[in-house]
Amino acid sequence: MKRSRKSQTTPFKPYVLAFLLLSGLALWLQKVPLESSWQHAGMTDFSLGMVLLVAFVTGQTAKAIGLPMISGYIFAGIVAGPYVSGFLSAGMVDDLHLIDDLALSFIALTAGGSLHLDFLKKRVKAIALNVAAQTLAVFALVASFVYALAEQFAFTKNLSPVEVATLAILLGVVCIARSPSSTIAVISECGARGVFTETVLGVTVVIDVIIIILFTLALTVCEMLQSTIAAMDHTVFAALTAEIVASIVVGAIAGKGIALYIERIGHDLALFLLFFGFGVTRLSLWLNQFMQAQFQVALHLEPLLICMSAGLTVQNFSTTGGAFMESLHRLSPPIYVLFFSLAGSSLNLAALGQTWLLALCLATVRAAALFVGAWLAGTASRDRPLHNRLAWMGYLAQAGVSLGLAQLAAREFSVIGDYFCTIVLAVITLNQVLGPITLRCALNLTGEAPPGQRPA
Amino acid sequence: MKIIFALLLIIFLAFSGYHLSFRNFKLPLFARHFYMTGIEFIFLGLLLGPRYLNILDSKTQSGLAPLAALLLGWIGLLYGFQFEIKKLRRFPLEYLAAANLQAGITFFLVLFGAYFTLPYFLAIPPSQKMVVALTLAAAAACTAQTGLALMSPDFPGRRHEFTRFLRYISSIDGLVALVIFGFAYVLRPSVLTDASVWSSLPRAAIVSLGVCSVLLILFSLFLQKFPNDDELALIVVGMAIVISGTASILNFSPLLATFFVGFGLVNFSRDKERIYRILISIEKPCYLLLMVFLGVRWELETAWILLLAAGYWLWRFMGKVAGGFAVTRIVVPQKKWPANLGFGLVDQGGLAMVILLDFAQSFPFEISGQVISLALLAIVLSDTASPHLLRILLHRSRA
Repeated sequence: MKRSRKSQTTPFKPYVLAFLLLSGLALWLQKVPLESSWQHAGMTDFSLGMVLLVAFVTGQTAKAIGLPMISGYIFAGIVAGPYVSGFLSAGMVDDLHLIDDLALSFIALTAGGSLHLDFLKKRVKAIALNVAAQTLAVFALVASFVYALAEQFAFTKNLSPVEVATLAILLGVVCIARSPSSTIAVISECGARGVFTETVLGVTVVIDVIIIILFTLALTVCEMLQSTIAAMDHTVFAALTAEIVASIVVGAIAGKGIALYIERIGHDLALFLLFFGFGVTRLSLWLNQFMQAQFQVALHLEPLLICMSAGLTVQNFSTTGGAFMESLHRLSPPIYVLFFSLAGSSLNLAALGQTWLLALCLATVRAAALFVGAWLAGTASRDRPLHNRLAWMGYLAQAGVSLGLAQLAAREFSVIGDYFCTIVLAVITLNQVLGPITLRCALNLTGEAPPGQRPA
Repeated sequence: MKIIFALLLIIFLAFSGYHLSFRNFKLPLFARHFYMTGIEFIFLGLLLGPRYLNILDSKTQSGLAPLAALLLGWIGLLYGFQFEIKKLRRFPLEYLAAANLQAGITFFLVLFGAYFTLPYFLAIPPSQKMVVALTLAAAAACTAQTGLALMSPDFPGRRHEFTRFLRYISSIDGLVALVIFGFAYVLRPSVLTDASVWSSLPRAAIVSLGVCSVLLILFSLFLQKFPNDDELALIVVGMAIVISGTASILNFSPLLATFFVGFGLVNFSRDKERIYRILISIEKPCYLLLMVFLGVRWELETAWILLLAAGYWLWRFMGKVAGGFAVTRIVVPQKKWPANLGFGLVDQGGLAMVILLDFAQSFPFEISGQVISLALLAIVLSDTASPHLLRILLHRSRA
């Protein structure tokens, strides 16, 4: 008895000691006066390194109790972030955005590389049905809920009917968005494979693409509601479609380039992919500015979409998919820890504190809508009943793109902008904490996570 | 001008890719050496930097500071791993003395040269003169072994002990430079506000050694639970950034701090082989990125830089030749090795560039860009000249 107890506690003892030592060092270093830019940069580096190590420890703890490791990383980020310990200040989180973007480009490459077209072709009907049913169900239920009950919440009761309608439409659309990064991270971590896994991944990626179109449509409708424009401008949609197609084509060409590099050169692939990720992030930004400045053309290539398309091309239209994915998998542990701990530190707990009741209701309605949509789609495509019952759990996670859309809407509609951003941040916080856990549970329950990866 | 330069560089890089994709395509020695050392990545940095495409502008550079910290930490750990006492003991003690003697002679020759000459050509404030001279001297003392690695197959079985000796020197002679470079951090104006150099030095040494010991214990604690390779890689990345960050906050060299921790790990950790495998697995990408980071900082506004680079190269060459001569006459006279042994130590390479990056990160003086430029030009010159000098030396040693 005594021995078994020791074997349960001993493994974490060094980590606990390491955590205490690291915390002591951090507290001591915080007392050092920072007099130069170099010392400030050093503090950012130290904080980042510390968050990486602490996230590693919390990830291991999460794994031991049967949760996805990314939940541990997010938790470490929340604790280190500006709203709890303040160890990673808001300024530091801002400074680390470039590193964050780099990590996201790697995750997008992995997401694209994980899509097997042969398999997706077989599931095209199920994916299309899921996308349609979930989009409609989430939009309809969330928008109706906000429109009908806005008066009941202190946070929104002072808004006019038009403002409530605008808020309802925008929230309805933003709630459709997903988090491909969380989905791909949990799937990689579990090593899950199978019909359920590929469907969840396929639906998540497709929705992440069409959400941009839907959001632009929603913005136009809201502008009409607020009488800032008289009619729909079709050129906006044409331009948007052109941007998405251009991003996919650029990604496909880049993917061919990666495949050629692997075939002909092959070595230093990690470095090459780092340059690629950085290049895509920076060059799309530069190209957008260049086109605007030189030709007055607003062309916004989407780096995430370019990387996904590149990954998909390498995996499906070349013989180098194996080497490509192996290299990405080798890089993935530090990338995931970095990305999700920074995502955790970016979660706005202040917003959650202000609107927790509304956020909780919205998250519940969204989950219910996902259940309805996924169940209907699964039933129509004759999937296994177990899969249909569990599918909603795979779609809860929400991040990145929703936040970007919220900020965009806040700029467009100054009156409801703050309300909208705050609610979206609160809902994202809840979904990003719960989503990876429910997805992991779903993968275990469907039996698609290999037994060795499941908690004892 | 920018477009022409960019086009030339793109063509050059395309050629590099072409060459790399056809490995049987044998280049002449100079070009082979050029590719092996990855010097073209310095030009890539120059292209991406503020002078040309401005993709790596100053804001982006500060956003990438953690990556630079990781590079310094990674290479520092890797360098520390070269000092495994058990392995070093296999070599005669006189080899160690030889390595340190020639590095010391080069260091002090370049230190005096740079300290007294540079202020005539560059507007260096008096408080920064010693830091600049120490940096240039430290970079000058280092030797790379790329040339030897390339050249050795051309001289199979001949004078094996001699090439082994040269390799030994080039793998460890940076130690003197690195430790003395650490001294430059005590000369920072913020450290010297109300204390003299000599009273700051013991305190800085005690604090840095104490903190490095704590960080070594921390590293060891993370290794206690036998992490798998993925987890170990994560721990190494995290620790490299933590050590670099701690060193920066406390005003000492990140490179030196990670060197100490690497030295401790290789001599006391049971996981040293696994850690070394992880460190070495991305050694080349680290060096290539390092060159990009340095290339970004190139400043070639004045033609004086070319002249100064030539002068710096000459001082270093003289130091290496004098150091090599002293070694053959004082440390290993019984071996009767050629007196121009210094010809085999001209290659400058890796560690010198890491010292320059450490300097660039830690001392953002107005003059830093020019100092880095002249040192980089000298490194390119050394890498170009070293194969020929080495060939002369090896022929002579065979005779």
